Amino acid sequence: MEQKDLEYLPEEDWQQWHTELLQATLTRLYHRVPFYRERLEKAGLLPEDLAAPEDLARFPTTTREDLSQHYPYELFAVPLRDIVRLHVFPWHPNPIVKGYTRQDLEALRKLTMRFLAAAGLRSDDILHIVLEPGMAVWIEDLKEGAEALGVTVIPPSPRRPEIDLRIMKDFRASALVTTPSLALRLLKVSERQGLALPRSLRLLLLLGEPVSPGERALLEEVFGVETRLSYGIAEILGPGMAYECEARQGLHLAADHLFAEVVDPETGKPGPEGELLLTTLRVRANPLLRFRTGDRVRIHSERCLCGRTTPRLEILEPGHEERWSFRGVKIYRKALEGLLREVYGSLPAYRLRIEGDPEAEPVLEVRMEETLFHPSIVALHEEAHRLERAFREFFGLPCRVKWVEA
Amino acid sequence: MLEIRNLHLAYGKLVVLRGISLHVAEGEIVCLLGSNGAGKSSLLLAIMGLHRPYRGRILFEGEDITGASPQYLVRRGLALVPEGRQIFYPLTVEENLELGAYHRWREEGRRAIQADLQRVYELFPHLRERRRQKAGTLSGGEQQMLALARAFMARPRLLLLDEPSLGLAPKIVSLIMRTIVRLNQEGLTVLLVEQNARQALEIAHRAYVLETGRIVLEGPARELLHDEEVKRAYLGKDYREFTA
Repeated sequence: MEQKDLEYLPEEDWQQWHTELLQATLTRLYHRVPFYRERLEKAGLLPEDLAAPEDLARFPTTTREDLSQHYPYELFAVPLRDIVRLHVFPWHPNPIVKGYTRQDLEALRKLTMRFLAAAGLRSDDILHIVLEPGMAVWIEDLKEGAEALGVTVIPPSPRRPEIDLRIMKDFRASALVTTPSLALRLLKVSERQGLALPRSLRLLLLLGEPVSPGERALLEEVFGVETRLSYGIAEILGPGMAYECEARQGLHLAADHLFAEVVDPETGKPGPEGELLLTTLRVRANPLLRFRTGDRVRIHSERCLCGRTTPRLEILEPGHEERWSFRGVKIYRKALEGLLREVYGSLPAYRLRIEGDPEAEPVLEVRMEETLFHPSIVALHEEAHRLERAFREFFGLPCRVKWVEA
Repeated sequence: MLEIRNLHLAYGKLVVLRGISLHVAEGEIVCLLGSNGAGKSSLLLAIMGLHRPYRGRILFEGEDITGASPQYLVRRGLALVPEGRQIFYPLTVEENLELGAYHRWREEGRRAIQADLQRVYELFPHLRERRRQKAGTLSGGEQQMLALARAFMARPRLLLLDEPSLGLAPKIVSLIMRTIVRLNQEGLTVLLVEQNARQALEIAHRAYVLETGRIVLEGPARELLHDEEVKRAYLGKDYREFTA
């Protein structure tokens, strides 16, 4: 027998659901994941020390460094034979790996479907996807979710924006999913080359990075579409983690799959605005406890006009230089520094510049220190190329390396 | 309808439940799975007021019923069908059924109970045929039916069932399960503890998995039926049967 959708659960029932799901998650983490068992023991905590969702604040957090350091097997909560897919994300010293059981994939597909349906996608839509290869995991999730809804999907490939515009026009695409910067890039290319924007479009789904109200209004006007925002982190659950409804009053968090906390990143104190921490509630292969997303949000808990009772996130611009985003692909400072260390043996002084223009590739300025210096210009060029190549292979993004004098 | 929050229970120094939280919404069949000694039956006995938890709360329709007496809870609309049926062997089927409504005699009188008897006989036609027979002479399946029917005579709104399929032939188990679904369709909410995980998951809406006194998993029953972990731990030999 089917279960009702929890998005509309009466507010007073969430406390019970969250207590149950958090307790079950903690028990699984404690019994099945050596990394977490050690963490909890060190903190002198047992699963039953959580009697209400508020008690979660006493438990340790998880960072991306933890995931990288305990690569490859230490974070799985199921035997490897139950894992049917593995995704690998760039990080240093080791990549971050995420496994999925069959149930995880099923849950992911349902979440993506729910997000796409809430955005207004229907089975007669034709969905065009424009995303960088660095977002391959998202592409896969979106494609599967949309196909399960019966939508016709045109997945991306590394092609020029002109071709995307043409395909959308020729196949009368009605919906486009992309990042705000790539949408602006399409706009720019269409203006420069005198190509018409596809008039068949009615819906633009934006994800991967925050968008300013001004840019959003511009995209809506020029494309002649409605826009919907979505938020997700591939290391956790993908694109259906939080999404806008027709009321556009923030992004509804999938509270039946995730428990959110908002804390001051320095002190760890809870507040209405700060870093988003997420605990998975139903993930089987790689459950996460208080994962530090590195994203700044404001959280709204009052009931939405649409009737959903899940909390809504307002995604804020990242306040600190922990992370950059280029066309929606994330470049984490720690991952970048790990890469530089690997290439040079030590960390040189550097600066990463990303212009607002999505067509201009990121510029990595590296200070020419004595250890890096080479009298031959050719050798210096080669050195720069070596780093550019390493960057591309690591992040799946182009980059231009510039030497800066010491 | 039923909400359990952080229930801790011990027999002397032996802790059997370590912070259990679960709920059953009105109209649901919720199944509780777990191996022997996981604490399933203890939980049912605690809900029914037969064990007193040392921490945590049990709420029934918003009312805190932790530590309430079984007599009160029966009047309040809870009924337990205990493991091993516990029917009265020397009494007839009908006498057993009437005892199920014992607490209602004074207030409601014979007529109301007679009407309920007729309803029970409609739901359990087998029992009508055997109404004058001594309960001890019934087959195992019939005894289980009688235990179920007797609980129904108390006019409960929430039925707690402890291992109704224990020791019964597969065909009889199916019949019992179908009867539970039927009672559920009549408006009865059910919390079912069962070793026979496969058949229980087939009729339940949701399920919880209990492991050494803690809940490790909650989910829609249909999903857990296909869950590798649940299959390995609780579905045993049946496993191949439905992956084929």
